[in-house]
Amino acid sequence: MSEQPLVIIDELKIDVRLTRAKRLPIVDTATFDVKRGEIIGLIGESGSGKTMLCRSLVGTLHRRGAYIASGKLVFDGIDLVAAKGAQWSEIRGKQIGYVPQSALAGPNPVMLIGAQIEEAILQDKNFPKSKVKERAIELLNIVQIRRPEVVMHQYQHELSGGMKQRVMIACAIAQQPQLIVADEPTTGLDVTVQAEIMRLLLSIRAEFNTSIILVSHDLPLVNQICDDIVVMHAGTTVEKIPSKDITHAKHPYTRALYDSRIDLVEPKGKLTTINGQPPTVGSWPAGCRFSERCNFVRDECRVPQTMPIIPLGPDHYTTCIRYTELDK
Amino acid sequence: MNILEATNVSVTFESYGQEIKAVDQVNFELPRGQTIGIVGESGSGKSTFARVLAGLQLPTHGAVSYMGKPIQSGKQTYQGALRKEVQMVFQDPYGSLNPRMKIVRAVAEAIAQHQALDKKESITAALELLRSMGISGDDAYKYPRSLSGGQRQRASVARALSAQPSVLIADEPTSAIDQSAQSQLLGLFNNLIQDGLSIVLVSHDLSVIRYLSDYVYVMKDGVFVESGKTEEIFSNPKEEYTQKLIASIPGRIL
Repeated sequence: MSEQPLVIIDELKIDVRLTRAKRLPIVDTATFDVKRGEIIGLIGESGSGKTMLCRSLVGTLHRRGAYIASGKLVFDGIDLVAAKGAQWSEIRGKQIGYVPQSALAGPNPVMLIGAQIEEAILQDKNFPKSKVKERAIELLNIVQIRRPEVVMHQYQHELSGGMKQRVMIACAIAQQPQLIVADEPTTGLDVTVQAEIMRLLLSIRAEFNTSIILVSHDLPLVNQICDDIVVMHAGTTVEKIPSKDITHAKHPYTRALYDSRIDLVEPKGKLTTINGQPPTVGSWPAGCRFSERCNFVRDECRVPQTMPIIPLGPDHYTTCIRYTELDK
Repeated sequence: MNILEATNVSVTFESYGQEIKAVDQVNFELPRGQTIGIVGESGSGKSTFARVLAGLQLPTHGAVSYMGKPIQSGKQTYQGALRKEVQMVFQDPYGSLNPRMKIVRAVAEAIAQHQALDKKESITAALELLRSMGISGDDAYKYPRSLSGGQRQRASVARALSAQPSVLIADEPTSAIDQSAQSQLLGLFNNLIQDGLSIVLVSHDLSVIRYLSDYVYVMKDGVFVESGKTEEIFSNPKEEYTQKLIASIPGRIL
């Protein structure tokens, strides 16, 4: 009997309220688990619902006019679908840390870096005030910021992009959360800085056994860092696959993503591209939402239906009904 | 003869009374029909140098020449017929397209500017050009906000090509778009290279550089620290900085 996963997401559906009667599904549906100490990579094109799924984990969906319509979202035995304001403030920031997408706009521009980190530490009402400063410097050391005493007294505009992102990570881990949700933490940063941030996330996991959900649209990056990869397309999680098995993906979309990697082809060789554009929210095709772009499509894929989750292993499932035919 | 050449180019900015050397005595050459990659981190001066090559930034010292003739006269660059020979594609496609203009009009306007065509002909030419970039008739009549990031970037490439240039300077063309859109865009660049266009490709993504370029310059703190044939740089990087850059490529299988 294995232990209970830290996060259980089961057939989660997120809707946006357009008018009093009109609803628009933006995540429909997401299913995956996150085990303790595991790094999950969540990948997909823009508009596939990755960020909204992250927001559901920190309870900030309502700020975008969205809500959980149905499904199960459980964190450490707590039902997050039913969680209310007071309960959220015990979870958000304390047990689930969030690193937002835009590193460069991350820290508050009119607040000293030190003050922001101290604020994050004092989320814990019982924390002794006299130790706050010490703890802030300790956090900056964990995220490998050089000369933390100086950075404490600086504003965000004085820092480089990589340092801003480190400060955001320091805030996210201030309460030693069990889960960090990092939404495209390295978009817009240099490759060398990106490599450093990834090393930092790995070292945090190694030290505190933190689970991490890493959102990205960079498959090579996710494949290198994560234990399992969850692939999203048009609001659905289409496949969950262990990183080591990525070359044996059982969903045509995952394969297409993998095959479109430019580092795999000879310079100026023929690139594999994914046909067409991702379907936009509100005009998803009935049946398999990848059917319009898929090379393996048959009539049965277009029949209006909910694609089944077909388990292929302990950490592997696909939603492609024709997965057995992909290798033929 | 090199189609584009920079000799001893320096660009100095002044900030709070301090002089900052963004580009420091750089030499660069682009032979006709080749693709040259410039890599480096943010702040290394590669964008500033690309702007100098495109004539958008005047160098403090040194000069750029096109086919042996200097591009600068007084404070003007690329005057007269030279103007359309070198065109630039910017990093952020959304910021570089007029949000109040339909894509086809934005391209048709540039075509009418550079080619002797009337309005109707320029629209036909714009539709044709957009189609060759993989933007269909329906999408051509949309506003930039209704297009995906990849489509927007292809539209701005179309607009740069409307002048029928011989040199294209692309500053981080793939950094703002999805992986799938990236492979479409790179395929497009590849076709342009086959058609004989000379390209200067600025990027911090080495896998993009490796895929397209014949020759690579590595920039750090305003200086080219290393340059060489693409395969040599990637298989046998001499400078420590280049080695670090190559080691940072995620999940690289090179």
